[in-house]
Amino acid sequence: MKNVLIVDDQASIRQIVRLVLRKDFAITEAYDVVSAIEQMKLLKPDGMVLDVMMPGEMDGYQLCEKIKQDPELADIHIVLLTACGQVADQEKGLALGANAYFVKPFSPVDLARHLTHALQVDK
Amino acid sequence: MADNTLNDALPPVVLQALWQRSLFGIAAINNEGHVIAVNPTFERCTGLDQAAVMGLTEDDFNLALLSTPVRKCNRVDVGVEGLSALYYMRVRSSSSSQNTMAVKLAGIAEALREPLASIYGFSELLLTQDYDEETRIDLTSTLLDQVEVMSNLINEQLDVRKINQ
Repeated sequence: MKNVLIVDDQASIRQIVRLVLRKDFAITEAYDVVSAIEQMKLLKPDGMVLDVMMPGEMDGYQLCEKIKQDPELADIHIVLLTACGQVADQEKGLALGANAYFVKPFSPVDLARHLTHALQVDK
Repeated sequence: MADNTLNDALPPVVLQALWQRSLFGIAAINNEGHVIAVNPTFERCTGLDQAAVMGLTEDDFNLALLSTPVRKCNRVDVGVEGLSALYYMRVRSSSSSQNTMAVKLAGIAEALREPLASIYGFSELLLTQDYDEETRIDLTSTLLDQVEVMSNLINEQLDVRKINQ
């Protein structure tokens, strides 16, 4: 089963994503960038659902950029899931290497559909 | 009231403060039709510093303004000794308050998207997924908590007095 790391400081968002993905993926969670990096050291995920605005020195954009610049991690499929809904925000996220950009509010079902397709999960 | 009466009534320090802190960008024109001074707000409004416009004729001054963000500039005849006219404009202060408002509204929108995402997400899960009764009650309860969070945010963030501050 493929692994997806959910990174969001909002427990309710992590719960929604976990509930909709748990049938098809092994789920790990992190509430900020630092704990996300710790999780990635333990297990490199196949996919990541990554919030942008989180407490701490680094935000989701910075983590996304860091991952995509690391040859060992660059193939992680990153979905930015964020309340930053301006066109410029989306352009920035995709320019930093994110594979997809979902704006909150979002459809959990669409998110699951995207990840199962992107990570080629047989249903 | 004669102009020199105004000058006599106001201490120089007050005139200096008005010149320095005015919300209007101001340029002073002497009797020969040349720029003799601009205030700091003028420099912020136009991006032109005093050295760039000092001594320009009014025609050249107006040409110089065309290359700045200033879209509306008023001229008033003064007619006191050494000073024939003042130009005044209010550009940057207006656009900066619009920018501030845009930033505030973008922040409010982002704050509201978080609980709205939970409300949307839990609603869709409850509608499309099969859960046992206990889980449904738990998810519905969390959904209602998020409605309350959103309601509080609306009450706090969309208070007109706070938006206007």
